[in-house]
Amino acid sequence: MDAVFLALGSQSRRKMLDVIQNMPGCSVADVAKYFDCSRIMILKHLNVLTAADLVISRKVGRKRELFFNAVPIQMIHDRWTTDYSRFWASKALDLKYMLESRQQKSDA
Amino acid sequence: MTQVTQQVSKVFIKAPIRDVWNALTKEGEPLPFFFGSVMQTTGLKPGAQLRMRTPNGKFTGVVGEILECSPPYRFSHTFRFTSFDDPPCIVTYVLKEVDGGVEFTLISDRVPVGTKTEKNMAQGGTFITDVLKSLAETGRPSFGKRMLLRIISVMGPFSPARCRSEHWPLDRAV
Repeated sequence: MDAVFLALGSQSRRKMLDVIQNMPGCSVADVAKYFDCSRIMILKHLNVLTAADLVISRKVGRKRELFFNAVPIQMIHDRWTTDYSRFWASKALDLKYMLESRQQKSDA
Repeated sequence: MTQVTQQVSKVFIKAPIRDVWNALTKEGEPLPFFFGSVMQTTGLKPGAQLRMRTPNGKFTGVVGEILECSPPYRFSHTFRFTSFDDPPCIVTYVLKEVDGGVEFTLISDRVPVGTKTEKNMAQGGTFITDVLKSLAETGRPSFGKRMLLRIISVMGPFSPARCRSEHWPLDRAV
């Protein structure tokens, strides 16, 4: 689990996960488009994410395909929630999302 | 043509590869990692028909055809929810022996984008990988998942009529 928290402890890597989750099977070059840093830096971050199993990297021919893997995050969730807390935490979050999206709409 | 996508779930399972394979391909018995469904096939071989039915056999949630079965490494079949009109996707389980256990990967391919199937596959993939892990390692699903399975099992009677098993016999190819 240390590897997962280490990987998630960086804003760039979290953003990288967003990008990969939205584009299953994307290439390293696809990810790089969203970042203003060197390819070596991108690969370094990707290695940390892969080591934590948050990103699955698959070689297809000469291309590398990247996928987001939700299992490590599910395991964190399973460890610290119970059926009871899960229910109420999710209700509280639903309320937050509803009110905040309303607020955003009225701001716009 | 519908746009399609791919989803991958991977987990390390601390168990012998045979145990993982047997848990995955067990027939005629409720599979906790598959929402308590019972798998029925016309044989574990390419071209065979596959159904995921409720334990009482009345409802069929998933229908498909086996594409590949290479024990204990690879199992692949087409997959369609009987409750939706979406085209079938392909589910592939890949087992790889690594130090101390098995690296288990679930790949769902040709998932139609923006459909109910896509949403269900994303949640299902993580659930299956997660429960299979605790099942192979400890012999049973975790407490939270057992509760969830109990809830799902009482949901059976609420399945739509189109999911009734008489509409999905094994001897008729899907």
